[in-house]
Amino acid sequence: MLTIEKIREGVGKCLVKSGTTYRADQFEIYKNAIAKETNKNAKWVLERLVENAEVAGKRGFPLCDDTGIPHLYLEVGDDLDLPKGWLSAIHEGVAQGLKTMPGRPMAVKGNDIERVEQSVGLSDDPADVLPVPAITKPVPGNRLSVTVLLFGGGPEIRAKTYRVYHKRSIKTVLEEGASWMAAEVKNLGCTPCTIAMGVGRSHTEASMRMVEAMRHGDLRKQSEWERKITDIVNAGKVGPLGLGGDYSVMGTFLKIGPLRASGIRVVCARPCCCVEPRRATVSFDPAGAITFD
Amino acid sequence: MRNEKDDTGTGQTKPIQINIPISEEVIRGLKVGDFVEINGTILCGRDAVLPKMVKMAEAGNDKTLMTMLRGSVIFHTAVSIAGIGPTSSNKVEIEGSIPGLSKAGVKIHLGKGALSADTMAALQTYNSVFAITPPTTAYFSSKIISQKVAMFPEEGMEALYEVTVEGFPAIIAIAHGESIFTNT
Repeated sequence: MLTIEKIREGVGKCLVKSGTTYRADQFEIYKNAIAKETNKNAKWVLERLVENAEVAGKRGFPLCDDTGIPHLYLEVGDDLDLPKGWLSAIHEGVAQGLKTMPGRPMAVKGNDIERVEQSVGLSDDPADVLPVPAITKPVPGNRLSVTVLLFGGGPEIRAKTYRVYHKRSIKTVLEEGASWMAAEVKNLGCTPCTIAMGVGRSHTEASMRMVEAMRHGDLRKQSEWERKITDIVNAGKVGPLGLGGDYSVMGTFLKIGPLRASGIRVVCARPCCCVEPRRATVSFDPAGAITFD
Repeated sequence: MRNEKDDTGTGQTKPIQINIPISEEVIRGLKVGDFVEINGTILCGRDAVLPKMVKMAEAGNDKTLMTMLRGSVIFHTAVSIAGIGPTSSNKVEIEGSIPGLSKAGVKIHLGKGALSADTMAALQTYNSVFAITPPTTAYFSSKIISQKVAMFPEEGMEALYEVTVEGFPAIIAIAHGESIFTNT
């Protein structure tokens, strides 16, 4: 039976998995890049990143000391009866995971003004890093899936959400987004990155579509436009840590949502850093069985 | 100081060992692209404390700080239970501190990201260098021997820390007016 205790425990473990492991597609793409890269400095960085991920996975250490802000993507089966308090249990699981990993205690204390000005210090409790309000999507079936994504601070300096006059051309829209990222990755510092991009009707929706792209993206399965965006940014030869070479970007995760009659599309693009997208998914069935992906 | 090419067949040189405190001569011998390993007690600080340290260094009346800075390495990082890892050195408060702290005796600024031409010029003026290291927190955990808060404990993870490391890896990215970054 699915209980709130099982949800809490499963989400906690899911957060730790998100912050301490590379996915199979990340390992595969990084190892392919190491084999092909001819720039010795770039190759050194790629090797260190894989080594870091191996140590992190084996010993349960965070991949990066900026353990990120938890973002939640929930898929709720139409046929599933959820226990009372299920959403609070997900939040409690996030808190539990942050204490276990541990997350970096970086929540700013105080009232609105004090928090903005960071004038009364930081909380010592990793669990005070509260998750962003969850994105929730109905899906067929009887399962609840919770995806935990951890967003680091560096990419937030370089991300952009803005309107693009589309002129009825996908090329115009996506090349504009790619050009933003080409301009930003050279200052990101923690390249190679994965470009996450969402296209929507509003700034809020474009951001949500970007998260959806991060939820489902696979570096081994790239669409035609995902490859084009990657190629546009890689043409700049920024490379790992800005040291040159062929791998500024390992791939792109793109999601285009429903659109409206308008002269503009809203594009949200984020250069996810070399440990991102940090993502793990936990699924629960009605009997309470838990699986991780 | 410089080691010979290794015999592993990778084409990479063995890292140069850098011990703290660092002399002017050691810095003069470094060049862009050198792989180094840092040994000793490094300072760790970022946005919150570096501008305060510059002000104190300019005032020049805190002998403990001035001694701490002479021949030092400052790693642009927070220090927390999650570990350490470079933050972007080109953030305003961090990059803005590099000239003042170089003048006060910091020899290696360690972080990530490209820096401006003005900052490169300041590094050259004070015979300091900028080194970068990947955000490999799990790997770094094996390089840390000890850590303690040195100043500004009220800043939490953004306090100034002294962290003792052994074999801490980095690449020299900016030295003597030259930069490794191809796109700056």
